[in-house]
Amino acid sequence: MSQLQARFFTDNKKYVIDDVPFSIPAVSEITDLSNVINKLLEGKNGDHKHVEFDFLVQGQFLRSSLATHLETENISTVMECSYDKTARIWSLEGKAVATVAGHTDVVKGVAWVKRDGLSSLLLTASLDQTVLLWEWSSERNKLRARHCCRGHAGSVDTISVDPTRSKFCSGSWDKMLKIWSAVPTEEEEEEEEESNRPRKKQKTEQLGPTRTPLMTLSGHTEAVSSVLWMDTEELCSASWDHTIRLWDAETGSQKNMLTGSKVFNCISYSPLCHRLATGSTDRHVRLWDPRSKDGSLVLLSLTSHTGWVTAVRWSPSHEQQLISGSLDNLVKLWDTRSCKAPLYDLAAHEDKVLCADWTDCGLILSGGADNKLYTYRYSACLSDAGA
Amino acid sequence: MPFRPAFSRCFSWDIRNTVGNIPMEWYKDYPHIGYDLDGKKIFKPIRNKDELDEFLDKMENPDYWRTIHDKMTGTDVCLSDEQVDLVHRLQQGKFGDVNFNEYEPAIDFFSNEVMIHPVTNRPADKRSFIPSLIEKEKVGKLVHAIKMGWIKPRRPKETAPQYYDLWAKEDPNAILGRHKMHIPAPKMRLPGHEESYNPPPEYLLTDEERQVWEQQDPDERKLSFLPQKYLSLRAVPAFSRFIQERFERCLDLYLCPRQRKMRVNVNPEDLIPKLPRPRDLQPFPTLQSLVYHGHSSLIRSISISPSGQWLVSGSDDCTVRFWEVCTTRCLKTMEVGGPVKSVAWNPAPSISLVAVSYGENVILVNPGLGDRLICSATDQLISSYEEPEEVKDQQVQWAVPEGKAQEQGQRLILTHPKAVKQVSWHGRGDYLACVMPDDGSSLQVVIHQVSRRRTQNPFHRNKGAVQCVSFHPSRPYFLVATQRYVRVYNLIKQELTKKLMANCKWISSMAVHPGGDNVICGSYDCRLAWFDLDLSTKPYKVLRHHKKALRGVAYHKHYPLFASGSDDGTVIVCHGMVYNDLLQNPLIVPVKVLKGHIITHDLGVLDVAFHPTQPWVFSSGADGTVRLFT
Repeated sequence: MSQLQARFFTDNKKYVIDDVPFSIPAVSEITDLSNVINKLLEGKNGDHKHVEFDFLVQGQFLRSSLATHLETENISTVMECSYDKTARIWSLEGKAVATVAGHTDVVKGVAWVKRDGLSSLLLTASLDQTVLLWEWSSERNKLRARHCCRGHAGSVDTISVDPTRSKFCSGSWDKMLKIWSAVPTEEEEEEEEESNRPRKKQKTEQLGPTRTPLMTLSGHTEAVSSVLWMDTEELCSASWDHTIRLWDAETGSQKNMLTGSKVFNCISYSPLCHRLATGSTDRHVRLWDPRSKDGSLVLLSLTSHTGWVTAVRWSPSHEQQLISGSLDNLVKLWDTRSCKAPLYDLAAHEDKVLCADWTDCGLILSGGADNKLYTYRYSACLSDAGA
Repeated sequence: MPFRPAFSRCFSWDIRNTVGNIPMEWYKDYPHIGYDLDGKKIFKPIRNKDELDEFLDKMENPDYWRTIHDKMTGTDVCLSDEQVDLVHRLQQGKFGDVNFNEYEPAIDFFSNEVMIHPVTNRPADKRSFIPSLIEKEKVGKLVHAIKMGWIKPRRPKETAPQYYDLWAKEDPNAILGRHKMHIPAPKMRLPGHEESYNPPPEYLLTDEERQVWEQQDPDERKLSFLPQKYLSLRAVPAFSRFIQERFERCLDLYLCPRQRKMRVNVNPEDLIPKLPRPRDLQPFPTLQSLVYHGHSSLIRSISISPSGQWLVSGSDDCTVRFWEVCTTRCLKTMEVGGPVKSVAWNPAPSISLVAVSYGENVILVNPGLGDRLICSATDQLISSYEEPEEVKDQQVQWAVPEGKAQEQGQRLILTHPKAVKQVSWHGRGDYLACVMPDDGSSLQVVIHQVSRRRTQNPFHRNKGAVQCVSFHPSRPYFLVATQRYVRVYNLIKQELTKKLMANCKWISSMAVHPGGDNVICGSYDCRLAWFDLDLSTKPYKVLRHHKKALRGVAYHKHYPLFASGSDDGTVIVCHGMVYNDLLQNPLIVPVKVLKGHIITHDLGVLDVAFHPTQPWVFSSGADGTVRLFT
């Protein structure tokens, strides 16, 4: 029976255990792991009650034994943010890599600024009205908060990095969009944490110097739910005031406005086919042409969900595929050529799906209110299978 | 013809007497009768003829018949035969002269033979060929006369034949009209078994029935006679009531005028008012989108933050929960000391406070959600209060909590003398009204001022058990709903402005339209009354859509929607368009019935609230869930 080394991280103070590697049999399942944790906790506090734990490993929830999880597709890493005020970085190989804990409130959005072999920059946006810029060096596995971007008057719901990786834009409940610089500056360096591994309780004082926005774009009359960059000078934002607005990032002026009839939850742009996909509080995924000058022009409406659509993403490689996640616990993969029904329904979540994305290597990820992050593999068949 | 005097005609008249044509009476008194040609008087005969002479003359004279007394000469003239003949001929209308023949043959003046030579060879004048000048002159004179108006030209007669309507002036009440529209008299009732001379025994009245019949008034009786039984037709006496019955029949016939009832052909579809289709009245909430699970007991009250991002709910399990609207995540749970009866989020966007009422306490909580600056400003506002020098004794104690409660967010605790059922904020966010229902006392409603930590009781007298209160959104009015009435008070003038009479037995909830002119009341007898404050104190419309008691009503701030939640587990959303011009009445159209709540312990939906900006409605129920319909 093989054994594996594993470390356990959590941010929940009640269930903190020692950060030492444990040796776990490879065939252990959730209940076994749960028992281990419970025993450790009982050892620490006398009156600990048995709690069923859920485990996140490699971006996937433990459903079967540990051994089957150790399939390696080791190229990229995945980051997810959650309502327990942290964001986590997972690699698709090995183990849970890092926990980004620095916010004082729920983390609503994350984005990579740049990722290369050595060090990466990432951003987290939160309900506490700040955006934190982190530097993560993957070799040392160390996270450092570089800057704290303050300026919003409401919770920051969404962030997006521009194609040149030098700026990012954030949208928030105070109806504003703010553009910030994404380049970390070296002045006024605080003393950094000398530790080789992330700690469960990241010290929150070290948030880095405050950064103010380069530009503020105002125009929306309700909260901004989603923002993205279309090219280096063009921004697109969707909001609860039923409009999608296109902005010029250079001048800060609004270029175009597309009007819908319902609150927009999420938006995604594909440079391959120049189309915007939006998900709203009605159950449709709509495709728009951002170049259209007259009012609103919905090109296509994909209807199959039975609840609010909370996440849409175009495929980075395929110009006709997109995924959508919704509050009816389903993630659907669509092909725009067949608009009546999705290609696949990915039913893995037991609760609302709150976010979905593609990875560089053709995997689909989705995270939901059931505390789980699922990965799916989709291999495009060259032959037409079925209809 | 020139006029000639009469006497110059008669040359052949009597020249024996030259007096001329004068009445001979002038010579009546004279002895002479005139003068002759020589100028000598002509004397009358000496002896006049008297009656006897006349008579004798008549009898004896054979020529009496042709003797004429000539007045001119005074003598009797006897006509000769020729003269008599002449007279006869004249009387017959013939010519006087015998020798005259009136039937002479006609002599042609000109011969009827056509001659070759004309009578005259005079050449024709020009006037034979041209239009006549005389006529032209005459016509010109006529034209001039017409132009001057002396002669009026005649209008040509209309050649169209003229008719007239024989029956145009018919009067239906006239006798002829009545004959035509004959309405026959209602027929008399045919005799039945009671009238028979030998009726079946069940038609005969028993003694008791007979006594009853006798005691009744003649008008009240069903039968005006007593059925009687005879053995044979011979034994039947004369009917005593015969004349009376005929008289009554005559009275019926001519005392009761008969009139034809004009049936109006009404299309029943015309009576239904033309309401717009619900599709045209979008947007409104149509289906359930999210369910907020977490409470373990019935949720009595919910309230939404003014930004629309957070939702607070208070339940009978003694907790208050704060939720994020778009994800249903419960961000905070706060335990309080008793079942929560009412929660209300402060509507001022610059203050972050929630009023929670449980038991006799009302706590003001700063949830700490949303903009940090606003939260800290609110905290500062509360803590910067300075006590005035003289502390007046108030019925409500204001206290600042400490320790764990302070950390949770509680900023002020107000202890009331009785249990508080409802809290309601003023639009500006400084005044808070609390309701302590108690039928006997006059301390049922108190108004707190948060910035000064002062409490006032606005009413001296008790007018009934107060159910709920509400501040007016724009004017300084305060609406108090008791069980049967809603009273509108003017806070500045401190007097009662209006008393709205709902036709309901027990009002449960009330809401004021953001425009300020309309109020809706929900009551426990399934009625929702819409009052138009400008129109009258009676409800403009009463809606009876729900099957069971109404628990909560709410208006939307921007959209023309209102909703009502009831014990049958449904929320009914109606479109209520209020027009800016004061001419049109509000248009009320029920638009959607939203189902989703489960009826628990006979209670259904307990509170409804609209999202401040989106056309969404939240409802809290006895099943422990808050549901969002979009």
